[in-house]
This record gives sequence, C-alpha cells and structure tokens, in this order.
Amino acid sequence: MRTAIIYGVLILMALVAGSVSALWMSGLLGKGTLSGFATLNVNGWRSDPSIGATSASAYTRARVARHGLLALAKEEAIYFTRTTDDTGDPLLERCTYQLSGGPQDAFWWSITLYDAESRLPMNEDAHLSIDATSVGNTSDWTATISPTQPDNGYWLSSRSAGQFDLTLRLYRPAVDVIEDPDNRLFAPQVRRIGCGDPA
Amino acid sequence: MMRLIVPALIFVIVAIAAHFATLHAVPGGIMGATMERMETTGLVHHEFTLAPRATPQTQSVVRPSPDLAYSVCLFDLPSDGALRVEAGPYNNYASISFFDDRTNNFATIRVGAGGAPGSGSDVVLLAPGKTAVDLDGFSGPQVEAPSRRGLILIRRLAPTQADYDRVVATSSADRCALLSG
Repeated sequence: MRTAIIYGVLILMALVAGSVSALWMSGLLGKGTLSGFATLNVNGWRSDPSIGATSASAYTRARVARHGLLALAKEEAIYFTRTTDDTGDPLLERCTYQLSGGPQDAFWWSITLYDAESRLPMNEDAHLSIDATSVGNTSDWTATISPTQPDNGYWLSSRSAGQFDLTLRLYRPAVDVIEDPDNRLFAPQVRRIGCGDPA
Repeated sequence: MMRLIVPALIFVIVAIAAHFATLHAVPGGIMGATMERMETTGLVHHEFTLAPRATPQTQSVVRPSPDLAYSVCLFDLPSDGALRVEAGPYNNYASISFFDDRTNNFATIRVGAGGAPGSGSDVVLLAPGKTAVDLDGFSGPQVEAPSRRGLILIRRLAPTQADYDRVVATSSADRCALLSG
C-alpha cells in the first residue's frame, strides 16, 4: 500500500513537472514573446522563419499560438520582435527611445508596440505603430518611443505598456530578405534617450 | 542504489510524456478557445465578419496589427464538403489566409490576379481528402484543408479611418459559403 502511494505521488509529480515545463517553454507561463525560439537575430531583431509553417517545431507552434496566433507563413509575411534597446536593456515605459530605420524590401512594413502580454497597451493615444504608409519607404526616418507625445516627429506611444517589445512586420518580403535577412533586412536601431523615475 | 533507479526512470519517462502531450495540446487548445470566444461574440460559421479597427479596446487576439483590417470566417466542413471563399476587390494589400485547427497557416491567397491589388479573389476550400469540385465558370485555386475546422482571415491594409471605411464598403462582397451537393 505504501509503495503504491509513493509511486502515485511520483507519477503525479512527473505529470506536473512535464506539463509545467511545456507550458513555460511555450510561453504560457511567465513572460514570453513571439520570438522565444528565434533562430534569427538581426541586430537585436529576432525571428523564427518557421512561424506559421507546418514545419514549425512543437515549441514554435505552441509559442506562436500563445504570442502570435494567426501569424502568416514567411512567404507572405515575416515577423521580427525586439525586446531590448541597442545596449541590451529591456524596453520600459518610463524611458524614452529614438527608433530609426530606413526602407524595407517588401510591399509594406510596420513596427508595432506590444505590452508583456502580447497586447496593444491600454491607452487611447492611437499611436501604437508606424508603417510604410506613414513614414514612407524610400528614405531614412526616425520616431520617438515615449509615454507622452513629443513636440514633433513620428511617435510610438508606450503609455501603460510597462515592459514592452516591438514587432517589425514585413508583408510580401522580397525573396532576398527571406533568404538573407542578415544582409538584406534594414534593422531599425533603438537608442535610449533617458529614463524617468520608476513608478 | 538499485531501489532508486526504477522510480527515477518512471519519473523521467512520465515527465517527458506529459511534456510533449501538453506541448501537442497547446496549439489546438488555444485555437479552439479562440474560435469559441469568437462564436460567443456573435460570429457564425461560414460567413465573413469584419472586425472593428484593432485598438487596445477592441483587440480579441494577441498581437493584432492596428494597420490591418481583419475579416474572419469560421469553418466547420462536412466530411465531404467544400466552401467557396470570395474576397471583394481592394486597391491595396489584401490576402486570404487559411488556418487549420492547430494554428497552421496552410494556405495564403493574394487577392487580385497574381497578387495585384484592385481585383477580388475566388477560392474553393475542400474538406480533408475531398477531390476538386467542378463549378461552372470557376477557374480559381482549390485548396485542401488539413482539418475540417479552422478559420479564414482576409487581411486588408487600412492604417487610417478612411482606409477602414473603404474596407467596410468592399467587405460586403466577401463570401464564405458552403457549396451544396
């Protein structure tokens, strides 16, 4: 009887350990991003080319379901996520950043700000993304990421975002970008300007 | 020492099995929960519904793009069924993407001939194992679904309210209807 109880507890613990580790690794527990199993890292912008594809690993598939449900396969769109500034520090609502980039070899691109729950941060600023239709796709551009609107220029609002990340979408990317993103992606830079006091 | 080997082996084997069983269940579970949540908000099967502009207040899935307009059709095909999917014309980026019940994006069709904006698209979705259907006057692609249940998304680029209003106008031509017979 005692042995049966011990084995029962052991199996229960194994079930919990296996399930919790799977949920953690797929991003359902704790913080996670779409790029948790990124195989690509272009100057801090991380991606997994198997997103949306039937060839995706079980881990990628689970993580996409949690953090990027209904993502498209790379032939139609590629997604890069950035969680840190150029010095490697996490992106925080209380800090101000300069985001700078240039044209992308794609039909259309955008950069959108999401909170740690992979949601649009709960504010009413209507400045949660910039895209090729707003800044153009022929020359370099800069934008400010901050919780309050700057006096001028393009703005991404981080108000109510806490610790956040940025997702770069390229729709209908050129084949060269898919095959050689290290050299063909114009990876935007994220420079921290300064930080306010912690809330 | 030998007394510990058997329980340790049992622990490792059960933990690994539970790990991969959970991992396998996650995509289907999340997709099923998402589709159920959509149904509770009024979406019906085999009909496109244009979602409100994606804002923090209206978002219903993770990581929506505020620059895109999304039309959703949930499907639940009979075992030998087929669905005709049509997207109204749009003079900018537009696509029809198909997702199975495990979140796989098994097909994406560019709206407009050869992906050119400005014309609509016409597609037939077939139940798993069903052979292509013969429809009068239809020459578009026929796509076999890996699962009977899933969803279809029409994405249209609409960063401004004026763009979204144009989507509202053209989305009345979107169709997602079971073929009879």
